[in-house]
Amino acid sequence: MPILSVKDFSIHFYTPKGVRKAVDKVNLDLNKKEVIGIAGESGSGKSTLAMGIMRLITPPGKIVGGKVLFNNEDILSYDEDKFNKEIRWKKISMIFQGSMNGFTPVFKIGQQIEEVLEVHEYKGNFKERVNELLKMVELDPSVSDKYPHELSGGMRQRAFIAMALALNPEILICDEPTTALDVITQAKIINLLKTLKKELGLSIIFITHDLALLSEISDRLYIMYAGSIMESGYSLDLYKNPKHPYTQLLMDSIADINKDYIKGIPGFMPDLANLPKGCRFSDRCPYAMEICKQKEPELKRIEGDRYVSCWLY
Amino acid sequence: MSHAGYIDPNVLIQTEGLKVYFVRGGFLAEKQITKAVDGVSIKINKGEVMALVGESGSGKTTLGRAMIGLQKPTEGKIIYNRDSSPVVITPKTKIIKHIRRELQMVYQDPYSSIDPYMKVYDALSMPLKYSKIKDKEYINKKIEEVLNMVGLPLDLINNYVFQLSGGQRQRLSIARALSLDPKFLVADEPVTMLDASLKGEIVDLLKKINKQTGITILFITHELPIAKIVANRISVMYKGKIVESGRAQTVLKDPLHPYTKVLLEAYPKINPESKDTIKTINVKESKIDTSKIQGCPFYDRCPFATQKCLEKMPDIKSMSSDHEVACWLY
Repeated sequence: MPILSVKDFSIHFYTPKGVRKAVDKVNLDLNKKEVIGIAGESGSGKSTLAMGIMRLITPPGKIVGGKVLFNNEDILSYDEDKFNKEIRWKKISMIFQGSMNGFTPVFKIGQQIEEVLEVHEYKGNFKERVNELLKMVELDPSVSDKYPHELSGGMRQRAFIAMALALNPEILICDEPTTALDVITQAKIINLLKTLKKELGLSIIFITHDLALLSEISDRLYIMYAGSIMESGYSLDLYKNPKHPYTQLLMDSIADINKDYIKGIPGFMPDLANLPKGCRFSDRCPYAMEICKQKEPELKRIEGDRYVSCWLY
Repeated sequence: MSHAGYIDPNVLIQTEGLKVYFVRGGFLAEKQITKAVDGVSIKINKGEVMALVGESGSGKTTLGRAMIGLQKPTEGKIIYNRDSSPVVITPKTKIIKHIRRELQMVYQDPYSSIDPYMKVYDALSMPLKYSKIKDKEYINKKIEEVLNMVGLPLDLINNYVFQLSGGQRQRLSIARALSLDPKFLVADEPVTMLDASLKGEIVDLLKKINKQTGITILFITHELPIAKIVANRISVMYKGKIVESGRAQTVLKDPLHPYTKVLLEAYPKINPESKDTIKTINVKESKIDTSKIQGCPFYDRCPFATQKCLEKMPDIKSMSSDHEVACWLY
């Protein structure tokens, strides 16, 4: 049984230009001690999906349907107070793309981590826990006496990971955690996340547009486009043999150090308030057929753990 | 304008011991010097694409700006080999207006580098008007030519810039730079702000323009994989200094400087057989302040650092026909 299961999850944004379906009936499963990757271009709805799971969607956005099952219990039906007390940060926590800039500049790192412990009513010695956490992310305990500006970007991102782990969550959502960092620091953060996953038995949802980076860390992959999952499967399989035309084009558009070319994907993502009638990728797809413009394909299993939403299969 | 001395006829633009320092404070506050570019000597040959690679803050953009005269150098000189009569830019040079047209730049962010409330036609004709070209027919012909070159449809000229997508804006920004027939183009991270699906198109476009017109391009990027695709030669910059440069294939296949090696190892690689392609990175976080160091800027992170590295910056040494490195290991 998966630890987290998202069923027919939809998030809409009510804008003056119409209802934008940022997340449109998404299904995904996260197993215990597993890393799943969610990949897609910007605007595909990957971050909104993560924010939706954490219930951090603010107006004009609204969760309009679906279920989020945590250990088979629908946490979407919890009221805000209960969700805050039982789930947020305690069971599921999150790090963000700019989270190294998420610290208040006027308080010391240690104080800020202690504040999280205090708000969430942690029982035990705060100072000891902070030191333990900093050690976990391979930072010197003296960091707790420093102000954010005294640390480098990589160190601050580590400190934020420490803060995300403060209450021993079971699931960590990482939304582009290394995009703002340089490659060497990125490599170190990725290695740290791998270690933490092993040592703490964390389950991780890793969101990025960088497929090369995802190949490094994820067990399974979900490819997202215009609010919907186009393909999913075991990542090694998926890299070897991408099925959906969008996945194939996305793989070709990634610059990899072992490749001699990159290709673009012609065209643009459709307006989320005005999705085409058929497949949402049909107007950019080189293999589009008549049916693709008429009817939207469903995500169906084609082999093993591979699901594809395309009329070709 | 001083005398240039001997210059290799194949070289279009070169720098000699170029330094660009930024000074802050100094009256009441403590004087702080940022050595953005610190003794850089590079040569860019006619018709080639040179990639300048380095992490943020390494001085890539400052070097690029200094090379086209947008940033006054603190020391050293830039020699632009203009139709066999070299132009030298030194800290004392005042007027470079006459060569400005020939040295152009494409900026990182297509959303802020062009006024969104301008029409495409105006955005393209502005640089021509500033260069005192009044012939309307010539202007129209030129605009048509550059739009064709960057693959934008002609009927866009009456649209406002804000109506264009990110990729189209970056094409427009390239078209605008090309409208003055420059000899040298500095492309400062032109694909960084673009989506993965658009990067390929812009990279291909720049390569195509380079082939068609023979324009020399300095391509600034922090992404080695992009540099590999676009460039003939690569220079790696670290904290204001060039640590390695050479033919793109050679530098990437056989990197010499410890920094280049670490950089290559740190890149995630798509390998369907294995997940663990990033090796353990054994460099520390940098703590040193570049303005105070005498030696190699990489010494505090380098696994091979010795006392010598701390005391003196190594000169750039030629290792093979087109591969240079600045490291005491060699």
